[in-house]
Amino acid sequence: MRKTCLIIIASLLITFAINAAPTPEMIVVCYPGGSVNVKDANGAMSSMLRVVERVGQWQENSFNSLFTAKADECRKQMAEKHPKFAITSLGLYLELRSQHNLIPVVQPKIKGLTSERYRVMAQKDKYKSLDELKGKTLGGTVLEEPDFIGKIVFAGKYDPVSFFVLKTSNQAIRALRSLDKGELDAVILNEQQFGGLASLQMKTPLETVFTSEEIPLMGVVANSATTTEEERAGFGKALEGMCTDTEGKKLCELFGVETFATVDPAVFEPMVKLWAGGK
Amino acid sequence: MRTARLLSTLLLPALLAGCAGIQQPPAQADRLSDCPKQTAASLVAEQNQLGHLSDSHTLACALTVLGDSQDPAVGRTSLGSRLCLQLAERDTNQEKREKLATQGVGFAETALANGGDSDGAVHYYLAANLGLAVREHITQAMGNLGRLESEMKQALALSPDIDNGGPLRLLGALYLKAPAWPNGIGDRDKALELLEKAVKEHPKHPLNHLFYAQALWDEGDEATLTQVKAEFALGEKLLTEGNWGYSKEPWKKEFDAFQQELK
Repeated sequence: MRKTCLIIIASLLITFAINAAPTPEMIVVCYPGGSVNVKDANGAMSSMLRVVERVGQWQENSFNSLFTAKADECRKQMAEKHPKFAITSLGLYLELRSQHNLIPVVQPKIKGLTSERYRVMAQKDKYKSLDELKGKTLGGTVLEEPDFIGKIVFAGKYDPVSFFVLKTSNQAIRALRSLDKGELDAVILNEQQFGGLASLQMKTPLETVFTSEEIPLMGVVANSATTTEEERAGFGKALEGMCTDTEGKKLCELFGVETFATVDPAVFEPMVKLWAGGK
Repeated sequence: MRTARLLSTLLLPALLAGCAGIQQPPAQADRLSDCPKQTAASLVAEQNQLGHLSDSHTLACALTVLGDSQDPAVGRTSLGSRLCLQLAERDTNQEKREKLATQGVGFAETALANGGDSDGAVHYYLAANLGLAVREHITQAMGNLGRLESEMKQALALSPDIDNGGPLRLLGALYLKAPAWPNGIGDRDKALELLEKAVKEHPKHPLNHLFYAQALWDEGDEATLTQVKAEFALGEKLLTEGNWGYSKEPWKKEFDAFQQELK
């Protein structure tokens, strides 16, 4: 899920709080592979939470966030904190959904879409297909979750760990510079990163070697065992109206989110099947 | 846990849609009744006497005089903006700090309007004050990232050595803290390059070492841990042993905060 969406969603959760809790409700936020400092991220989300608390007339400091950019840390925090609501990547949701009874609540909508595609990029005219990249180096931030890349992005057709020589990076621009210099053979990008390519000045033209099917954007998930349907519906409704609120709109615009959409569970069913099929 | 730095963070996620300007400052600082008689011209002539070692009352008096001055020659200098920054840095009250920093932006904008565009110090103190004014406000911070970068770049091009490599230090810190591509202007490669240069060319300023240590730490590479600690220790030593006056306390807080992160 996009970092920006993730941050804003975390802050927006405040508005759906069922009640202003005397002790802050912890929201676990997982952004694997993100170039994000935990302290800074929590600070940013805290600032935004305060804004949303004011807008939503909730008691200040009703919510707290716990941010991590490491998948292992996310697994640990989910197990220890048992949060009612969390923000995770799609890969972590698929992995942890059974263990923590997770169900999607809302998705961000960006540029009219609630889905994205992943792409593998290489220097122009160097490789024509993924098969030609066998044994070659592949970089990118999204490689923090190789299972997700293999089972969902490559739909189980390629195991990235054995097929490529993976060069995980927490900075997409650094991976692309390495690709430009020929230090990497290919880089895998999410939609947001792909969309930003035009802003970079690369010496060597790039071309797309692989494009994934549409993959739903991940947003807020809830523990269905510790939240009621009413609570989850309240979350969704509050989020749907968030980007039309005066203050909320400012935040939504800042992060490029048009709105938040209540999740149609059917959207994620193909992902669940792919994930299971990849095992 | 070692993690990459962002948003974040300053988080400030980069997305920078429309620039959210900060509110315009009041015309002048709170008036003081017990200030010595001095003129704006004399303050400008002796501006090197005003700095880290000056007490806040002295700086506030000078600021009042500068704010009252209608002399374009005074108005185009960076002095008012610099004094605002020094007062803001040492003020622990966020509201007052932001008010002073915003006033510093106003002084710098006046300087630009009076022909101070070719003075790198004007751009530098504009950026430094602007950063201080908006850093606690995510939408304003995000909306001003582009301007911050532009002003710092101009300062770097015109006066790279002022304030012990201040433009290198601040621009490096901006690239370190701002949201990374494609969300923002954050760029760790650039941050490392600028901050390493700041340390090499201006090794006596404690913050140059602190920020470079933070940039190295952000790499999350165990191999650099020794260097991170060495830079931190050197910066802390310079701060402790140097005559940094009223700046020592706020800078010490920066060091302490990073030390907590290192644990």
